[in-house]
Amino acid sequence: MKRLSAFSVVFTVAGLLSLPASLHAQAGRDDADVLTVATWGGAYEESQRRAYFEPFTEATGIAIKTVHYDGGLRELREQAANNRPEWDVIDMIQSDASAACQEGLLATIDPRILTPAPDGTPAVEDFMADAIQPCFITQIVFSTVIAFDNRAFPGMKPDSVEDFFDLETFPGKRALRKSPAGLLEWALLSLSVPREQLYDLLSTRRGLELAARRLDGIRGSILWWTSGEEPVELLTSGQAAMATGYNGRFFHARAMEGAPISVIWDGQLIGFNSWTIARASKRAELATEFIAFATQPARMAAQASLISYGPTRKSAQQMVGLHRDTGVPMRPYMPTAPAHMGRAVIRDHRWYSQTVDLREQWFLDWLGQVDQKPQ
Amino acid sequence: MDRKGLAQIIYQICTVTLVAIVVGAAASLAAIGFVESVHYLNGQLLISPYARVLAEGRPLLVAAATLLVPAAGGLVVGLIVHFLIPERRGLAPPDAILAAQTSGPAPGFRSGLASSFAALVSLGSGASVGQYGPLVYLGAMFGSLAGRLRLNLRHQRSIAIACGVAAAISTAFNAPIAGLVFAHEVILRHYSLRAFAPVTVAAATGYIVANVIFDRPALFLVSFDRVEHSYEFLFFAVEGVLCAGLAWAFMRLLRASTGAARHYIAWPWARPAVAGLAVGLVALWIPEVMGIGQETLRFATIEGAFGIGELGLIIIAKLAVTALCVGFGFVGGVFSPALLIGILFGAFYGLVLPYLIPVPHSGLVVYAICGMMALASSVIGAPLTTILIVFELTRSYDLTIAAMVAVVFSNLISYRVVGRSLFDLQLRAWGFDLSLGRDKAILENHRIRDYLSREFTAVDESESVGGVRQRLVDDHRAEAMVLEETGALLGVIRVQGVLNSPAAMPARDAMITSFTTFDEDTSVWDSMDMLRGFLGEAVPLVSHSGRLLGVVPEEAVIRAYLEIVHDLREEENEAA
Repeated sequence: MKRLSAFSVVFTVAGLLSLPASLHAQAGRDDADVLTVATWGGAYEESQRRAYFEPFTEATGIAIKTVHYDGGLRELREQAANNRPEWDVIDMIQSDASAACQEGLLATIDPRILTPAPDGTPAVEDFMADAIQPCFITQIVFSTVIAFDNRAFPGMKPDSVEDFFDLETFPGKRALRKSPAGLLEWALLSLSVPREQLYDLLSTRRGLELAARRLDGIRGSILWWTSGEEPVELLTSGQAAMATGYNGRFFHARAMEGAPISVIWDGQLIGFNSWTIARASKRAELATEFIAFATQPARMAAQASLISYGPTRKSAQQMVGLHRDTGVPMRPYMPTAPAHMGRAVIRDHRWYSQTVDLREQWFLDWLGQVDQKPQ
Repeated sequence: MDRKGLAQIIYQICTVTLVAIVVGAAASLAAIGFVESVHYLNGQLLISPYARVLAEGRPLLVAAATLLVPAAGGLVVGLIVHFLIPERRGLAPPDAILAAQTSGPAPGFRSGLASSFAALVSLGSGASVGQYGPLVYLGAMFGSLAGRLRLNLRHQRSIAIACGVAAAISTAFNAPIAGLVFAHEVILRHYSLRAFAPVTVAAATGYIVANVIFDRPALFLVSFDRVEHSYEFLFFAVEGVLCAGLAWAFMRLLRASTGAARHYIAWPWARPAVAGLAVGLVALWIPEVMGIGQETLRFATIEGAFGIGELGLIIIAKLAVTALCVGFGFVGGVFSPALLIGILFGAFYGLVLPYLIPVPHSGLVVYAICGMMALASSVIGAPLTTILIVFELTRSYDLTIAAMVAVVFSNLISYRVVGRSLFDLQLRAWGFDLSLGRDKAILENHRIRDYLSREFTAVDESESVGGVRQRLVDDHRAEAMVLEETGALLGVIRVQGVLNSPAAMPARDAMITSFTTFDEDTSVWDSMDMLRGFLGEAVPLVSHSGRLLGVVPEEAVIRAYLEIVHDLREEENEAA
């Protein structure tokens, strides 16, 4: 009995010790160590692949699968409702992240996973204000800008939001994202509403009606896009003369591919993207590990050396220099460059996250209206 | 110059500058705190469109807030005014003017605080009143405090009040020159270097403080190139005249509403709540009537934001609701509502004009701004200030000149029809009439009682004429006051009237009973008027009960007049 028990103790201890290893192996086998990241495709995703996904796989052996995502909460809601989680990590616009967090679609993220800056500054101080939230970590500053095809305007070039709505002086198709985001601000900016008051005015029925009437003026010339890489294609192919799009994409097309695209910084809409974890995800721990990895200053700087989006950590901003492939200095192309900030609009993510339904309804109504051109 | 004189001058300059900076900074910080608090309350109480849209998912909550918040705010305001403010009303720019112009007792600091709090609640809960009136009083309140310090400065109180007011306006509009001019044009009513220098320092202090820590969008930011056609100046002038008419209607409505409140609602503390309920009811239909209406103000300068009919409706609703709120005792000013009604009317005029006179014009913006400034300047009686506000906020010469034309035509008419301003009308109702200038108002504000002399010959009614004659000879006087035993004045005996009267005749039969008297409340101005055709030596001054208090020699009335006018001229011509 004594012997037996001693033997069984040894056996049990050995068994217990081996358990986590075998469990881990088990989990690894089942899911093949693949983390699904929903993100935005194109040059942006490419920069993430080189700065985050590949180094992460190299360091941990965990493969990353990306899924195309164009913003909004629709898919996330569906996955949560059907209890069929497909995404683990999502790269969301801050306002979407904030709304998703309120709806309980996201898992909480422990801020202690964030590494301090190389000089020891704690992450809380190194990140810009409000970047660290209970269920999202804001990682980049991007900007939605208006760009134009230089070939379309051989003479005078457009240089303001107002010109985007001026079909007489600057004829040609306008490519706009098919979403009630951005076009509201630009419609009012083009009527010389000061940027400090944009969201106050857009909060009134009158403001939304005014934006709708302004958009009526270009209704017949709009080409809609949904995915981030489309505006560049629409411009380079000559289908659109002017297009709204993400500044990094336009930078990539211009600097890397030599596309004849110029950016109008007037009325640029500054937004923020945040890492989030789907609440339904079964790989929350891996997802957390990935976010901890991707928010290291060196990794963030690596992405900013590939595409002109600004990192949200001061220590990462200081590491941004030349483009990794072309040697173009990156700082002047960052949306946060001082020269571009004078006429920038900071997207009010609180307003955005609270007006999802209102904007959606407004947009559907407007799309459904018959063209009522103002005289 | 001797050393003592030099030291005195250095002391004066340093102290005045210090007072200006301290009062300016305090008024400016208070103004910021006030505006920020109103903004915060509007957000929390679902008054501002931004807050309402964030609660979009709960339409019942928004409707309930619209209906109940102004009414509840009104009740709070009514109770504060009734129980915490001894004056039983909100303190406003007229109080500041009075405190700066006269040396009499001004409303206390506690009244000022309670009144500012009531104004905060009024504005925070969406009543249609203005924020600049309370801000001006807030500035005046700090000035009044500094005026009480024993600093041995001449005209200390009026200058300190002007400093506070200038800083408050400078901060609120981010327009230091307008603040400086407002303090002179509305509060001080004269220009002298002694006042000008510290008020400038205070206005600059307000501007600096505002720029460092204040982050509110400017009242209006418009882009305007130039007035395209010279004939448009005629349109601006006509617009000014129409705005004067509107100002008249506005002031008439205010008075009618005050009367109605007194007539229909017996409890003064309940009046604002009734007005609040009305605001809520109208706002369910026309949300633009609530609060200060920053968004509406902006829309008015955007072509296509309003239809003509819609504009007309909002103008009438805002006029009526503002008159209701102010008349029923919400605490707040009239300048912000006047700006809003004015800009809406200007936009209306700009929209209608092309239909009436089909010639090209320079767009809506300039007409909107002209209307705004013309109406507001007529209501507060400050044409220069409003012109400067346009200039400082837009930095556009063309817009300023256009506004200037509208403003002067509006003021020309409104001055004749209603008087210089709403403030002056209120002051006149309190017996301080500035309509003929400072001299008359201040002479009216000084009591001739202060120049009373006790040196007179009093005789009993039963005393003989002979005795009276002898006493007058002894006293070297030509007049004797005939008194009852109680001290009441019965008549006057003049020596020329009793030269031939029998010596035994009792004084009561020889005295004159129809003569000029002053009472305790007779002002210096009135006394001058009453002396017209007066032949005697001195005017008896009697109490309300008829008792003789003393006499005022003719010389004393002239002396009073000269002293007061001299003081005024000195104040107006003093250097620092």
